[in-house]
Amino acid sequence: MSIPSDLAAAPLPLREAERQQPRRARRKLIAIAGGPNCGKSTLFNKLTGLRQKVANYPGVTVEKKAGFVPLPSGRTVEVLDLPGTYSLRPGSPDEVVVRDVLLGVQASTPLPDLTLLVLDSTCLDRQLYLCMQLIEIGRPVVIALNMMDTAEEEGLDVNAALLARAFGAPVIPISGRTGSGMPELLLAMDREVAPPRAVTRALPEPLRLAAEGLARMLPVTGPLASLSRFHVAMALLLDEGEDDSLMRAVPLPLRREVLMLRARLDEEIPEWRSHEPIGHYRTIEDLIRRATLRLKPETSVRERIDRVLTHRVLGPILFAALMAVIFQSMFLWATPIMNAIDAGVNALGRALAPLLPAGPIRSLVVDGAIAGVGAVVTFVPQIAILFLFIALMEDSGYLARAAFIMDRLMRGVGLSGRAFIPLLSSFACAIPGIMATRTIDNRRDRLTTILIAPFMSCSARLPVYALLIGAFIPNRMVLGFLSLPGLVLFSLYVMGILAAVSVAWVLKRTALRGPRPLYVMELPPYRVPSWRSVLLTVRDRAGLFVQKAGTVILAVSIVLWFLASYPKNPEVKPLEKRLETVERGAPTKAQRAEAAQIQNEIAGVSLRDSFAGRAGRLIEPAIAPLGFDWKIGIALLSSFAAREVMVSTMATVYNLGDADPTSVSLREKLRHAENPRTGARAYSPLMAVSLMVFFVLACQCMSTVAVVRRETNSWRWPIFMVLMMNALAWIASFAVFQGGKALGLG
Amino acid sequence: MTPRGATRKLGELEAGARAVVRRVSGEPELLHRLMELGFVPGTTVTLVRRAPMGDPIELRLRGTHFSIRNSEAERIDVDPL
Repeated sequence: MSIPSDLAAAPLPLREAERQQPRRARRKLIAIAGGPNCGKSTLFNKLTGLRQKVANYPGVTVEKKAGFVPLPSGRTVEVLDLPGTYSLRPGSPDEVVVRDVLLGVQASTPLPDLTLLVLDSTCLDRQLYLCMQLIEIGRPVVIALNMMDTAEEEGLDVNAALLARAFGAPVIPISGRTGSGMPELLLAMDREVAPPRAVTRALPEPLRLAAEGLARMLPVTGPLASLSRFHVAMALLLDEGEDDSLMRAVPLPLRREVLMLRARLDEEIPEWRSHEPIGHYRTIEDLIRRATLRLKPETSVRERIDRVLTHRVLGPILFAALMAVIFQSMFLWATPIMNAIDAGVNALGRALAPLLPAGPIRSLVVDGAIAGVGAVVTFVPQIAILFLFIALMEDSGYLARAAFIMDRLMRGVGLSGRAFIPLLSSFACAIPGIMATRTIDNRRDRLTTILIAPFMSCSARLPVYALLIGAFIPNRMVLGFLSLPGLVLFSLYVMGILAAVSVAWVLKRTALRGPRPLYVMELPPYRVPSWRSVLLTVRDRAGLFVQKAGTVILAVSIVLWFLASYPKNPEVKPLEKRLETVERGAPTKAQRAEAAQIQNEIAGVSLRDSFAGRAGRLIEPAIAPLGFDWKIGIALLSSFAAREVMVSTMATVYNLGDADPTSVSLREKLRHAENPRTGARAYSPLMAVSLMVFFVLACQCMSTVAVVRRETNSWRWPIFMVLMMNALAWIASFAVFQGGKALGLG
Repeated sequence: MTPRGATRKLGELEAGARAVVRRVSGEPELLHRLMELGFVPGTTVTLVRRAPMGDPIELRLRGTHFSIRNSEAERIDVDPL
């Protein structure tokens, strides 16, 4: 039951026609394909070095990594690093992209001239599955048997020549780690490679006939014309995703034919879909028997490591310890760098200020643009540190073990073990946390994780909590040993976690409900990470953040600057005059203090009467039921630049200049602020609690919005997130304030 | 490698036990995916260990280690070796 030769290979006349087409000077395109953990990316990095670029495939969040490789002949080829895939019958957006690129139906990418298939020689058996499918496409393939050095160390002898004969394709043993075999690989990539031979496999008669019949009906022109018709027919029958891009690539009557054939097969052999894997694996088992030889029993290095790292008791302890190290470094290592960046940005502003004419332009550059750039750059240290750890864990093989350990716990919220690290990181900052969700392969799980990550109390909320707790929560002991401020702070963190868990629970049952995905995760062998790959990952992540999310953050910073600076208040003029007189000549110490006071007053007057100030008044009716006045309204609006900005905004509103959360004068001001209408205290401890609850739940961070936009590749989810979080925040604060008042607490 | 004992669910094996896959059941798409990963009838599979909380489990099959959840292991009938 072999595949008839006229169908296995592409129709020859067309191949000729393609060759005769005047090829514009398009670069040869080589796609690198392979399973997850086959060392594909290490090889890609080795081949391209720093000549890489990362983008997205249009319409999806799958990353397109491309680079350029100089070949021995002197010409340069473009190389595409496809996402790791187990099979060409896609089960995820990543795999759809891989299939579409290899079949030439991916809109943004031409059909590759050659596919470089990377296989891990130490576990060929399962990897040959993808190989069988790829060979069947009938396009030129070069097979790289990667990790040959490890295979040899483990006493595994792989007969490359036999595999080459079986597939009719060049098979080159290499080691991406040591670089052995690379010259031969580059030579093979440089040559014109003939299409491979499809390997015979057994299929039940009705399935074979259906596929052959469909193959004959395929159009002789168009995107699929240079592929094996039999493969395209099998792909059409087996790829049953909704709105499949492959189905859309064939004419309508053919689509109907496919649906009809599927229905007929369902009747004749209910389990017909299983016959592709069964047939392929039968062939693979035979190949493996002939082509590999185990010279000594399997070594158990991984077993010895796993016995410790996934041990019942030790495993979770070691995992917790590692998480503590990551968390601490995101806080401790990043803070000095972030402070240095902050100082640098301020110094830059001060240095540039005298070079610019005083007034709007200076203000735009210093308070708008430079401050905006600072807002972007301060995230880079935390992103770099988190991705350094994630890349190390991923490349060494530990990340899969971490997910293995945490899976049961995370399933309680309907997520998988992979969601743990992104969520933990979000306690430091949601930006790197959301970026880290890329390690979650299921789309719905990933979206859920992205949407709940901002509920984790990040480090930017701490200054706000510190200010309000310091000002309003009495430093008392509860039950004799718990400090009340500490207890309040702890409750805020718990509240964020509970909100995240509840929202995840609801999302998984409503907007992100879907068929239960199959959780199969490979536990790869332990490997020493390559520094080159790790550092390239860190560079890519930080670079992409600055480019893609950074531009949005910068733009929003400038808009916020404008809203807080305009229109100019006429009251500022006399104040500026007074400032000039005070500063004239050599001011005394008292005069300098007065000047500072006047400057604070100018800032206060300008802000209170700016668009932001007016907006604060405008939203007062909406936030009054939460216990907030318009001054807090301004602070809420301006904290969209970054939550901690709330502290300095409150200081400016109260004419205090820049203040930190421990500032005694700011705390005093807040405690004793009066309501101008009633003369009573404007803020109570109840209002402080209501405000803190608001900060726990509200999405007030433009950088989070920008990064969600970048990671989900649409505005739909960030907008949903802002609305959902702020609605929750309003309701919760309302309940706290009104409930507290009803109980006589306010 | 003749099977000993009655057919059981893969998830019921002891840690360290080996068995031969007999049948995989479930919705067509999940079934197809499991098969593509190598869970075809006749394949030898070892239950290497359980995760610290008892679930998921680590399997070895065709030279690769996989982690799958107990709920997935329920779909796979095996003959213990």
